[in-house]
Amino acid sequence: MDEPRVAPATTLRSRFAGVAGAIRYARIVTVFYRTSIQAEMEYRADFFARVLASLLGLLTTIGSLSIAYSYTDNLKGWTFSEAMVLLSVYYLMDGLIEMLIGPNMRQITSQVREGTLDFVLLKPLDAQFMASFRSLNVWRAASAVIGLGLSVYSIGRLSIGAGLLQAVSFAATLAAGLTIIYSFWLFLVTLTFWFVRVDNIEQIVWQAFEAGRYPVEIYPRWLQGTLTYAIPVAFVITVPARALAGRLTGMTVLVALILAACMLALVTLFWRVGLRNYTGASA
Amino acid sequence: MRYWLRVYRVHLRVAWALMMQYRFSTLIWAVWGFVGPLISLAVWTAATQARGSGVSGNGQRFDQADFAAYFLVFMIFGHLTMSWDAFEFAYRVRTGSLSPQLLRPLHPIHADASFNVGFKALTTALLLPAWLVLFVVLHPAPPPSYANVALAAPALVLAGITRYIWQYALAAIAFWTTRVDAINQLYYVLDSFLAGRIAPIALMPLWLGLLARYTPFYGMGAFPVEIALGRVSLPAAALGLISQMFWLAAGIVVFRLVWAAGVKQYSAVGA
Repeated sequence: MDEPRVAPATTLRSRFAGVAGAIRYARIVTVFYRTSIQAEMEYRADFFARVLASLLGLLTTIGSLSIAYSYTDNLKGWTFSEAMVLLSVYYLMDGLIEMLIGPNMRQITSQVREGTLDFVLLKPLDAQFMASFRSLNVWRAASAVIGLGLSVYSIGRLSIGAGLLQAVSFAATLAAGLTIIYSFWLFLVTLTFWFVRVDNIEQIVWQAFEAGRYPVEIYPRWLQGTLTYAIPVAFVITVPARALAGRLTGMTVLVALILAACMLALVTLFWRVGLRNYTGASA
Repeated sequence: MRYWLRVYRVHLRVAWALMMQYRFSTLIWAVWGFVGPLISLAVWTAATQARGSGVSGNGQRFDQADFAAYFLVFMIFGHLTMSWDAFEFAYRVRTGSLSPQLLRPLHPIHADASFNVGFKALTTALLLPAWLVLFVVLHPAPPPSYANVALAAPALVLAGITRYIWQYALAAIAFWTTRVDAINQLYYVLDSFLAGRIAPIALMPLWLGLLARYTPFYGMGAFPVEIALGRVSLPAAALGLISQMFWLAAGIVVFRLVWAAGVKQYSAVGA
């Protein structure tokens, strides 16, 4: 059995720093994801329902854009093809978030409410790591698959050619975007330690995320600011889309990476403070 | 008649108490009503700015202020006519919590309709200040006369009831399959285009506009909005009201048929 060897929690920090620790954690993630996928195999029909639902949602946005673009060829500097690239990134992100981040964050919220977070804390693993990587909702990748297909198609239409630099900056901003949304969501989840009912706040995030289907430039200034800095939808969707369309400066890539690192560090700190506030089951 | 008044009064009181208990979450759900119209308004604002002039299609002209008026009125009317039973109902079938409701001597649609009305009463009161702020900030074009707004009232009521009954018929599909996400999404797509949510129908391609007028979606969506903004001639408005009544009657028939067949099918999954 390739189950990882159990290590005392006290020695964990030093182990995590080393290469051996990294390998150990990578192996644990593999086990977590494998068991999740095994459980999800039970619901295979979900995948097709999801694909169909995502395709229909995509149809609405494409239709809405093509009606608007039939009266103009440019919306705040975005051509129709570039708006399609943006839309593909929206779906890619939606799929990745729902597959990797969403299930874990929702689980933490209910675990804190019901007191079952005890079982996570008792494991000889970093609690944040365990809580963040425990499950994977593989069928939610449906939108990501659609997004990927659309991005290949729309990049072809743009006829800019996919350069290496473009690919690297897209990968970097995509990773930064995922880290930013993870940090942001974990921040909301950590609030659960103080206020037990915050799952509604998730709705506000999705309401903002919905706005990311279109370039943030079309919104009024104050909303652009909100979508860039308060709820960083711009960094999650618009920035990677610009990278993919080859319209991004190295500076923005750097800002995205620094912002992601800062948010991750801050939320890790906040999580530790919140954890101290956790009173456990039936307390 | 007295009996029904009492039934609805009691149901409304229950719904109101429940909603006051969860007023924060109720409000957050209601905020979804802002998202769609404001995004559409932003898209069309960007389009008018790019052209430097208004947009005309099929004999109707929209400039910046017209778009603001259209989508703001749509936001309010959309809120007043919305229903979410298709999403809620599948959950009840899946968990089996529908069973006790079916045992009551009253069709569950009455309790749900009361809940719908209670939700709108509470959220309208809460959202009113936000709507007023939007009207001040976005400078919509005023309607040609406020008599138009009053004339829109019967069309609005018909739109709300028709949408409700069709949604409930759609919800009853959950008796056959508990995976209704894709079906609901299809409804959403049709509604976005044919009700005129993403763009005024006059600006859509001609075939889409024609299709909209021959489906129930136009009557459930853009029609009352267009009356309020004085964009419908009197004969067209009369014709529209007749078509609304036709679709309401059709909805009731379809709902009864689907429900009768569905209840026979129901086996209480979660039991």
